[in-house]
Amino acid sequence: MAVPVSAPWWYPFGAPEGVSVVRVELEPNADREADALTLLDDEELVRWERYPYAGPRRQFLLCRGALRTVLGEALGCRNEQLAFPTTEDGKPWATVDGTAAAISFSVSHSGPHGLIAFAPEGRLGVDVEELAPRRNLDLLMDGVLGEAEKADVASNEGERRLRSFFRLWTMKEALLKAHGKGLLIDATTFEIPRAVRRGAARGRLQLPQLPGVTLQVEDLGTEGFAAALAREVPGARP
Amino acid sequence: MATTEERLRKIVDDNLEIEGRTKGDALDLDRNIGDAGVPSPDIVAFWKLVNEEFGVDISAEQFAELLTPRDLVAHLDAA
Repeated sequence: MAVPVSAPWWYPFGAPEGVSVVRVELEPNADREADALTLLDDEELVRWERYPYAGPRRQFLLCRGALRTVLGEALGCRNEQLAFPTTEDGKPWATVDGTAAAISFSVSHSGPHGLIAFAPEGRLGVDVEELAPRRNLDLLMDGVLGEAEKADVASNEGERRLRSFFRLWTMKEALLKAHGKGLLIDATTFEIPRAVRRGAARGRLQLPQLPGVTLQVEDLGTEGFAAALAREVPGARP
Repeated sequence: MATTEERLRKIVDDNLEIEGRTKGDALDLDRNIGDAGVPSPDIVAFWKLVNEEFGVDISAEQFAELLTPRDLVAHLDAA
């Protein structure tokens, strides 16, 4: 039912336990950007024009175009039936003809990398970060990691340190997005479980800001980028 | 004495990596840093640096309402 595009710039990236993840390519590409522009609604076009720099503008355009097509297919609706209002905290949700759609989704982009995760229900968060060298890595560590997390990251050097930091940060941001408040929560108020910090691919925890809700966090990183998925596990114990 | 805007620009120049922005560029007072492509951990670091530099205790939720330099300057000057 979705509007066809000449060639999709997204493809399946995995389906961990009922969650579909799509990777979105965000390199400059005039044909893809032209296709994506035809998919956006008026509000999204205003938002697209507001971005001051070409990179963020392109990231938004190509991710939103992919999101519209992917969710349109999943929900069996036409592109023009879809809209994306946001909660008071800025988290987008999907409607079809003005009615809340039965789907959870999360979108993230960084540099040329984009990810979209979606599932039939439950809290969901995805995050991706480009593994570009950072001159301010110590500052970032102080800003977003707990003490044990900082010690683990600091035990690495060079590229391993950068990779270790972004592995933890993507997990933390995915959890914050699954919560719904995102960066409105201080990320230093919780830590990734020790086993996951030391290399386990996934683990479970409860956020102090969301007692009684168990979230599973999973490493989706590759050689080229750090990424993580967080999702609610109904009825589970951490 | 440096103005609040000048002090904010120095924090940005010294610490943030914003795609398309050159160190020393004037701050666009009405531009939301979330729209400028500032990576998420840098936004968090910026919030903490502002609190440290100005000796204030802006919460994460308050900071989310102060994402243009103009709003942030007004808040800091009124503190």
